Amino acid sequence: MTPPGTGDATPAGDMEEIDPGLARERTSLAWTRTAISFAALGGALLKTTPTVGGPVLGMSALVWGLGRMTHRSGRPEAARRLRQLMITVTVTLVSAVALAMVLLGGGSPPR
Amino acid sequence: MTRPASRLPDTQRDADPEGSAGGPGDGSEPDARFTFANERTFLAWNRTALALVVAGLAVAQLLPPFPGVPFGRQLLAVPLIALGAILAVAGYLDWQRNQRALRHGQPLPRSPLPRILATSITAMAIIAAVLILLSAALK
Repeated sequence: MTPPGTGDATPAGDMEEIDPGLARERTSLAWTRTAISFAALGGALLKTTPTVGGPVLGMSALVWGLGRMTHRSGRPEAARRLRQLMITVTVTLVSAVALAMVLLGGGSPPR
Repeated sequence: MTRPASRLPDTQRDADPEGSAGGPGDGSEPDARFTFANERTFLAWNRTALALVVAGLAVAQLLPPFPGVPFGRQLLAVPLIALGAILAVAGYLDWQRNQRALRHGQPLPRSPLPRILATSITAMAIIAAVLILLSAALK
């Protein structure tokens, strides 16, 4: 028996060619990990600067939702591009806020 | 490992029939596994960017000040956070380039991101070491 994804597989012999379910699942998990990263950053910021931490925590829900978004528009490539762009803008915004916090001295004084 | 678009099932090949020539959405729909892999790589770069932002914030907010070097913490934090922002944008551009190559059945372009990240982290480590030695000497 040929293992899936190896050898001279005919289309019918390759499990993921029939249904890329595992790739889809791995990607779905990657979206979840990204949302958790946002939540962790939001939670950490919530302790020091709640006004910034709250929105960042909210962004984790947005990221999770984007990962769940189905391509209903009929133009999957356009939907995919918009989704990736939204994540990029979100991370860039978070970086800009963090930079402002550091430069404007929003950090807590050292103990 | 790129797969010719002609080997794809018709449903995948015709998924974006209105893709116009010259636009980023032209070409044929690539194998779903490659599209997903490209997306996961993009997400991994974004998580790396977020980790750099967290590291920068931690340096600025949690580290005690370096004796004798008043802006030591900012010197470490600002480049880390800026690198996070750069990685997020560069990760998107990388994803777009890869997706275009996949849609046209071309070889994937070489990404500059690993080199940028490795160089920056090395530079940050050197700056951190210099700061620690400097503050120890000035104490």
